[in-house]
Amino acid sequence: MLKKTVSIITAAVITGAAITATVAGARDYVSIVGSSTVYPFATTVAEQFGKSTKFSTPKVESTGSGGGLKLFCSGIGVSHPDITNASRRIKKSEYDKCQANGIKDIIEVKVGYDGIVLANSRKSAPMKLTRKDIFLALARQVPDAESGKLVDNPYKTWKEVNPSLPDIKIEVLGPPPTSGTRDAFAELAMEGGAKTFADMSALCKAKGDEVKPLMTKLGIPESGFNKKGKKVFQHIAHSIREDGAYIEAGENDNLIVQKLEANPKSLGIFGFSFLDQNEDKVQGSEIDGHMPTFEGISDGSYPVSRPLFFYVKKDHVSVIPGIKGYLAEFTSDKAWGEEGYLADKGMIPMPIEERAKFAADVKKLTPLVLQ
Amino acid sequence: MNNQKPMDIVQAGLAKRYKKEKRFKLIGLSAIIFSLMFLVFLFSSIFLNGYKAFYQAELRIDVFFDPALLDIKDPASANFDALVKKSLRTTFPDVKKRKEKKKLYGLVSTDGSFQLRDMVLADPALVGQNRSVWLLADDDVDMLMKGYIDRNLPQSDRRISDVQIGWIDKLIDAGRVKFRFNIGFFTNGDSREPESAGILGAAMGSFYMLAITLVLSFPIGIGAAIYLEEFAAKNRITDIIEVNINNLAAVPSIVFGLLGLAVFLNFFHLPRSAPLVGGLVLFLMTLPTIIITGRVALQSVPPSIREAALGVGASKMQAVLHHVLPLAMPGMLTGAIIGMARALGESAPLLMIGMVAFIVDIPAGITDPATALPVQIYLWADSPERAFVERTSAAIMVLLTFLVLMNGTAVYLRSKFERRW
Amino acid sequence: MLQILSSNTPRSTAKSREERIQSKARMLVDREDRCTAGDPFVENPRMSCRNVNVYYGDKQAIRDVSIDISENEVLAMIGPSGCGKSTFLRCLNRMNDTINICRVTGELKLDDSDIYDKKMDVVPLRARVGMVFQKPNPFPKSIYDNIAYGPTIHGLAATKTELTEIVEISLIKAGLWDEVKDRLDQPGTGLSGGQQQRLCIARAIAVGPEVILMDEPCSALDPIATATIEELISELKQHYTIVIVTHNMQQAARVSQRTAYFHLGDLLEVSQTDVLFTRPSHQLTEDYITGRFG
Repeated sequence: MLKKTVSIITAAVITGAAITATVAGARDYVSIVGSSTVYPFATTVAEQFGKSTKFSTPKVESTGSGGGLKLFCSGIGVSHPDITNASRRIKKSEYDKCQANGIKDIIEVKVGYDGIVLANSRKSAPMKLTRKDIFLALARQVPDAESGKLVDNPYKTWKEVNPSLPDIKIEVLGPPPTSGTRDAFAELAMEGGAKTFADMSALCKAKGDEVKPLMTKLGIPESGFNKKGKKVFQHIAHSIREDGAYIEAGENDNLIVQKLEANPKSLGIFGFSFLDQNEDKVQGSEIDGHMPTFEGISDGSYPVSRPLFFYVKKDHVSVIPGIKGYLAEFTSDKAWGEEGYLADKGMIPMPIEERAKFAADVKKLTPLVLQ
Repeated sequence: MNNQKPMDIVQAGLAKRYKKEKRFKLIGLSAIIFSLMFLVFLFSSIFLNGYKAFYQAELRIDVFFDPALLDIKDPASANFDALVKKSLRTTFPDVKKRKEKKKLYGLVSTDGSFQLRDMVLADPALVGQNRSVWLLADDDVDMLMKGYIDRNLPQSDRRISDVQIGWIDKLIDAGRVKFRFNIGFFTNGDSREPESAGILGAAMGSFYMLAITLVLSFPIGIGAAIYLEEFAAKNRITDIIEVNINNLAAVPSIVFGLLGLAVFLNFFHLPRSAPLVGGLVLFLMTLPTIIITGRVALQSVPPSIREAALGVGASKMQAVLHHVLPLAMPGMLTGAIIGMARALGESAPLLMIGMVAFIVDIPAGITDPATALPVQIYLWADSPERAFVERTSAAIMVLLTFLVLMNGTAVYLRSKFERRW
Repeated sequence: MLQILSSNTPRSTAKSREERIQSKARMLVDREDRCTAGDPFVENPRMSCRNVNVYYGDKQAIRDVSIDISENEVLAMIGPSGCGKSTFLRCLNRMNDTINICRVTGELKLDDSDIYDKKMDVVPLRARVGMVFQKPNPFPKSIYDNIAYGPTIHGLAATKTELTEIVEISLIKAGLWDEVKDRLDQPGTGLSGGQQQRLCIARAIAVGPEVILMDEPCSALDPIATATIEELISELKQHYTIVIVTHNMQQAARVSQRTAYFHLGDLLEVSQTDVLFTRPSHQLTEDYITGRFG
């Protein structure tokens, strides 16, 4: 009995001590959250920074872009993260939430690009696709070839989509809707493909009264109405078919690579870094005449690529030790330069002028202003 | 009926009865064999995938600790990267082109410069001397050496180019490449470079977490079990409590993670990613299990022992503490260890409290950021680098070893203490 | 009832149907016939019980039992299975408290103090009224610790030497000393059944009780071990008051001075043992001791 009482008391004391310690003391490491796409790059920088300086290695959590910004904007203080990574730009609503929670000054840093690739096994022939092909193959509803009205996706093989493509079943492995990669894919590839149809493109630009006639023309039911045509357009372009042609393969991109090997007829959607690391097993498909290569993504010719960002709380820079050093490490040429180690990890560097601009912003801690 | 003797009837039905029995046994046996096959398949695939992670390629490079590159006064901040590059250039003097140089530098792990730095820090007298040093090879070289990269593929299709393979072959011929036991895997924290990634950080995180879980859940769980079993009045309220405990034991662990997020992080403002919070969450998760197994253990103590103690005038508490509890202890320990083993393998609730994170530094206390073994496995499984595949399997092996050890301890404790003298 | 009948079955097959019906009828006690025959009351009793009723939930297990137990006597309680004799025995040191649904009314006194008084502390009560159970139940500890446990928790020995002395005396009194003196540190559970039961008796003696309750102490033992225990009981009665529940009528006849006959919760007869077994006052007692039912 005595022993037990003692151990309970010890436990209580430890817990109590820990609580007081954290409340009273400051954090001595940088806390980073955010996008799983930026995660491999942020962790590499964090590790380099931690090992080459006397500071603690920053802690990097992979929470997804949205989750990261939510945590980031929840407040100022040691219990909130200092930096969040994002595979898209901060939204106005998120920015406003930050402002409302007392985070007045946010520094935006663009770090480079990430390409999303469609790839298949090396065992089969490489594919040459256009964004239109991708849209037609994967959208839930596509414009009918004759009437132009939206119908449930009738295509079963790639050849039906585009006669120049091989006669194999459409089978695409990709991330689930919760993934940032999926969002980016929908935005960059699917929207791009949808816009090749004149009516769809018009719908995207339409506002107010112009929306309804276009909807009737495309055969979209009234219930989908929004006075911003873009919303209606996005709803259609982002809807991916659910009849088995698109297979959700989970967030683990390694798994998709493995499945592609097992099934050479299927295509997979994942980040460029996974293609880069597994080039002996899978090959990227050409999209709109451009191969997913380092150069193609860097100069913007490969269409399915997106910028990567991170955001820093200015108020934390002077409080948490190591933020300045981490920023300096990330924006140094040996990290994000063309020959830098982040390029080795699969990140596509920005052109030199852009790098110079963001490096200068970081140095001056210029806050972001969103109108 | 008829005039058969009863024994004849029995005899007639006997064959059928034995047949049924045999069939039943066979079904049971095949079920065991079936599940064993899966187990063997699982273990062998993990082992075959992972055993190569326990050794690691190294390259021997001649290094001149150039005083021009190393500031004697402050060697820590010197550019050791340049030193590695310079040494590589001296080893392969005919590499001149910029692009080729970059490939050459890629042979040695980025950790190589830290290795040299540690050497100089340990022995500053090295500056100005020549040394032949074994440096960690890059993960791509390691993968090539282990046969994961097919040399016959066209150059563009593999991570390692023809020139690099040429250099490596040269190094092999000169006896400058060797495999050694991958001690770093057991002594390092996480890393983005597979060759220097280790499991210790995660293991320590798991250790702190489990320590907190055990310190809290064992005494509290057993106290609750004793109270409910021996002292609480048997009425509606205890019934409700019992039902709730049983329900809690079946609640999915992610729910405890959400609870931890709401209570420990958002309300008590405990630090994110800390083993303290992880331990508290796992404590809540294992508590019902420990209470339930504790009660079962108490119930299994024969009432005659209680009567014997009460009969000589022991108070109820004395009877429980002196006689019932010692007899129930093996069962309780088994329950606690199985609960701990479950907690060790848990990753879902840790996601919610920020323990799924990249953490290089090995946690030194319960409030330092840390991750846990299953989380480390998840993170490595999700990494693009090929070399992490084998490390994932190796980490699974480490986790399985811990689980086997813990369950083995449970079995041992039971057999050791269970005999009634 | 059913239990009695079923235990009766093997024998009854030998009897005629008529006899069976008769014996069944005899077991049902008339209301008027319930009052205890013989001489349940004595002068200067150690324990006295008046109008004791025991209920398990709604079921009444003991009905209106009144009996005295005098100093240094062996009182045997006999009766068919389920007649409530063990229940009544366990009332005498409140072992029934461990059963939640058990309720006791009436007056039970040890000397002059009420056993079921709210102020009565069961711990000293059980030290004064020790108990030996049906199945030997030594603690899974050494022989020494088994005996020493009671004195230790009550603080009866100031020093280790005193404690060892108590252990030795208790074992000698229980007639076990010669058999175990060389292996006091060995587990009590390693002894034979008869030895274990004597160990339990020694354990009860060690706390210096005034009354020892024995609940069928020999039912799990072979005849030789039984004989040893019976001898022991005869010796112990010089120092202790003993109440023994037994199924074995010969045993009751051998060890006890007085015998009480319980029947379906009623105490039907209490007499001097020789009187009860030779000239029972109650018809049912006679039926029982002559083996008409059991």
